[in-house]
Amino acid sequence: MSRHVHGQRPWLLQRLSGVYLAVYLVYVIASSMQHGAYSHQEWHAWLGHPVMGIATAGFILAMLVHGWVGMRDVILDYVHPLGIRLLLLVLIGLALITCGLWALRVLVLAAG
Amino acid sequence: MSNQRSAPVFLNLFRIRFPVAAVTSIAHRISGVLLFLFFPFLVWLLDLSLQGPDGYARALALLQPLWVRLGLALIGWSLLHHLLSGIRFLLIDIDVGVSLGAARRTAWAVNIIGVLLGLACLGWLL
Repeated sequence: MSRHVHGQRPWLLQRLSGVYLAVYLVYVIASSMQHGAYSHQEWHAWLGHPVMGIATAGFILAMLVHGWVGMRDVILDYVHPLGIRLLLLVLIGLALITCGLWALRVLVLAAG
Repeated sequence: MSNQRSAPVFLNLFRIRFPVAAVTSIAHRISGVLLFLFFPFLVWLLDLSLQGPDGYARALALLQPLWVRLGLALIGWSLLHHLLSGIRFLLIDIDVGVSLGAARRTAWAVNIIGVLLGLACLGWLL
């Protein structure tokens, strides 16, 4: 990647993940508003369904990408001391990866 | 020194011009950070809610205290503002609503609709 296009890939990833998150969230908000309150069984069946499970795994993945690029932008704009900046970026990255693996485990267990 | 003294100073809040699109933009960042901070709680709730009927009941019980519901309303505003302003930024990327007038109108619309939907969340949660 040349210096000229540096920053173009995160920019694109932010938009692609944003579109996915938007479509997923609008669908989930609309369908749960239509459905009303869920019993535990209905909730489990909904998230345990393969299509919804895969769509939700995609949501988690998009959330990791979108959260990383977004938080990275915020940190780079407002936190200038190099040490604190690196520390925050590492903590944010670790938090996202931990949450992502945790969520995927929950989804796999729900599907199984 | 005399030049600096004669520079106009607008400390009157009614005279400071703060573009409405700047409010949309900074609120997009603040709401994004709030959503990031909420993410671990979302995963925790998801985990708990899928641990049998008991876990589901415990997850629902966690959402009962007033301060939690106030926090969720703030997350609701964050999500809806972030979604609306995100769609606005995407449209601007593909050259829709770029003119100054249109950009101002959509910024006002996003800010106001975001707050109204946030209040609707609050009403629904209380």
